[in-house]
Amino acid sequence: MSARQMKLGLFLWATGHHIAAWRHPDSHVTAGIDIDHYIELARTAEAAKFDMVFCEDAAGLREADINIASQTSRSIGFEPISLLSALAVQTERIGLVSTASTSYNEPYGLARAFASLDNLSGGRAGWNLVTSANPSEAANFGATGLRPHADRYERAREFATVVTGLWRRSGAGHDGQSFSVRDPLDIPPSPQAAPVMVQAGASDDGKDLAARTADVVFSAAQTLEEAKAFYDDLKGRLAAYGRQPDDVKIMPGVAPIVAATKAGAQAKYDALQELIPDDVGVALLSSYLSISDLWRYPIDGPLPELPESQGMKSRQALVIEQARRDGLSIRELARYFAGARGHWRVVGTAAQIADALQERFEGGAADGFNVMPSWFPGELDAFATMVVPELQRRGLFRKDYEGRTLREQLGLKRPM
Amino acid sequence: MHLAVSLNIASATGQAGLTFAEIAGFARKAEAAGIDMVVISDTTEERSSSPFEATTLLAALATVTERIGLVASASTLAHQPYNLARRFASLDIISQGRIGWNATLRQNSREAANFSRPESITDEDFRRRAQEFIGIVQGLWRGWDADALLFDKAGGRFHDPVKMHFLDHKGVFFSVRGPLNVARSPQDTPVLVMSGLGESDLDFGAKVADVVLFEAEGAKAAYDDLKRRAVAAGREPETMKVLMTVGVDELAAGGMEAWLDGKSCDGFNFALPADLSALDDFTGRILPELRRRSLARSVYAGAKLRDRLELGAGGAK
Ligand SMILES: Cc1cc2nc3c(=O)[nH]c(=O)nc-3n(C[C@H](O)[C@H](O)[C@H](O)COP(=O)(O)O)c2cc1C
Repeated sequence: MSARQMKLGLFLWATGHHIAAWRHPDSHVTAGIDIDHYIELARTAEAAKFDMVFCEDAAGLREADINIASQTSRSIGFEPISLLSALAVQTERIGLVSTASTSYNEPYGLARAFASLDNLSGGRAGWNLVTSANPSEAANFGATGLRPHADRYERAREFATVVTGLWRRSGAGHDGQSFSVRDPLDIPPSPQAAPVMVQAGASDDGKDLAARTADVVFSAAQTLEEAKAFYDDLKGRLAAYGRQPDDVKIMPGVAPIVAATKAGAQAKYDALQELIPDDVGVALLSSYLSISDLWRYPIDGPLPELPESQGMKSRQALVIEQARRDGLSIRELARYFAGARGHWRVVGTAAQIADALQERFEGGAADGFNVMPSWFPGELDAFATMVVPELQRRGLFRKDYEGRTLREQLGLKRPM
Repeated sequence: MHLAVSLNIASATGQAGLTFAEIAGFARKAEAAGIDMVVISDTTEERSSSPFEATTLLAALATVTERIGLVASASTLAHQPYNLARRFASLDIISQGRIGWNATLRQNSREAANFSRPESITDEDFRRRAQEFIGIVQGLWRGWDADALLFDKAGGRFHDPVKMHFLDHKGVFFSVRGPLNVARSPQDTPVLVMSGLGESDLDFGAKVADVVLFEAEGAKAAYDDLKRRAVAAGREPETMKVLMTVGVDELAAGGMEAWLDGKSCDGFNFALPADLSALDDFTGRILPELRRRSLARSVYAGAKLRDRLELGAGGAK
């Protein structure tokens, strides 16, 4: 009997996940305009047998303030569907998952693009469905601003139904609230028939949609308890849709910093933290809290009371919870948050990181992890050459690819 | 003499579409023979059996070719201008400056029916909408100055904020703030190809297009007319290339010299159906003939498609 093994995704983000990654002396600062950089990263991840690479996306500037934006590397990058289409023919086995918004696309076009990516890659495509919570994206798609959370999810539900219907050849003749589609998809069935569906919403609406349609769920959690609560909650929702717990793989984000010694890893982390300008950290925190004037409050004081977000409800709750729990000032919170945007950070040796991952994996809080290197390429190389072999030694991660398609790789059923 | 070859992958109806390996092999042969660009389109009124969508195919082709220009059709009904501008700017970076967008001002009724648009959108409204769309895309492509990116790690300045520009477009059909979250592309703006222009599209096409593809019928008059309109729009006429779209058989029958001597185009676009025998026939029969006549340049003049076609910065000033 083969023991349960964890899934690993590589979360790509130009220069790295740490907000100051681009300032690291060895980071690849031109990543956002260099396709060869991405080909290298994907091949590194493939050599380490990662299940997939994953591209985030936003159809607009991430920072509301241009002066803040100009102090980060986040305002330019590749549009992910074209990026992954290029990677599809430059890699062989690794899954290719791209984010795309249900708020700013049309289902027929998106279904076509992902079916094409699935064909180009021989069955390795996945779609991370997001509803897009950033007002600066909304401004690129009309004059009416960000639509309320519930409306975005209503559109997302219909969007997902149409796309999966088109992939499964039953979506033609749809005439709904937001969309109408007359014809079947004009791309023949792709190797996976339906590319893998990924989601990361953690609000009630988000979790419900995921329970209904997702194959993989990304999440953000600081503590094992939080991660486990999310895991149980989501798996518990599956039965209502006639699904089994194993039909959905839950992969929380983890931002590891690894070195030969614990002190060495801590030193690497501290050096990166030194590179964060305060105003950049506070602005990033503000955007995830959906508050525009956090900078008005004393930076060394506590987080003020906040109205409930219309943006990312779940991440706002996570940050507030952490601030109260650990008694953090705005400055401390901002600096902490700038490292991995609220995801779990583990700093230590390969064995310590493997211990931490193992604890959550075996403790019923994760089916695998979405790995978020602090900067590229260095922290990916370190994870691939130090942590992955350690996980393999422990039998927690496979030594070679098993299936051909991403669905097979993840142990997912073929869709009906 | 500029030479293009266009492949309508959607025309593979009722038969298995070409595989990626077949299309890539063909593009590499065309590249080796000195063809300026391959144009991929994927729309028909019929249902296609091609496994690919044109822009995703282009990204993949960009990584397995080195010098040939790569153009894809993408419909203004099927996309939002911000998304489309991003897709093509990204493709241009991936290909190191070899990308073009083939835009059309004519609507395809199948698209309207699948993209939640009322089927009754009038041709005139479609045209006005497409013109606004194209203007937005080109405007977004110009949102970052060429020297905006600083990459100054020590100083903490990734880009110069004054060299990034909002578009702030508020039009009849679209409202788009910008800027694009993709860097300025290697060509500044990807090449804008227009095809299927009707009488009422000619002034707009002559003002903004880098390349116009047009049918062989009445070629000389149409060519002169387009160039005259370009001049009227304040352009140097040679910064817009007019390629006559010819079927391969037509060309063989008419004889190449006759076409060229008439100076009724700046070059040819060979329209091929998406099947293997047509590709083989083209690479085996037509390409050697073009080379024998030194029509296809095997030495590439510039690395970028825009240089190669000697287009300048593009569009009316
Ligand atoms: C690992 C991870 C990656 C995400 N990537 C994106 C992204 O690329 N683009 C985006 O708009 N939202 C992204 N999100 C946000 C969520 O998908 C979701 O839209 C957000 O949490 C709001 O939904 P909620 O209110 O249901 O939580 C990501 C979230 C997580 C945990």
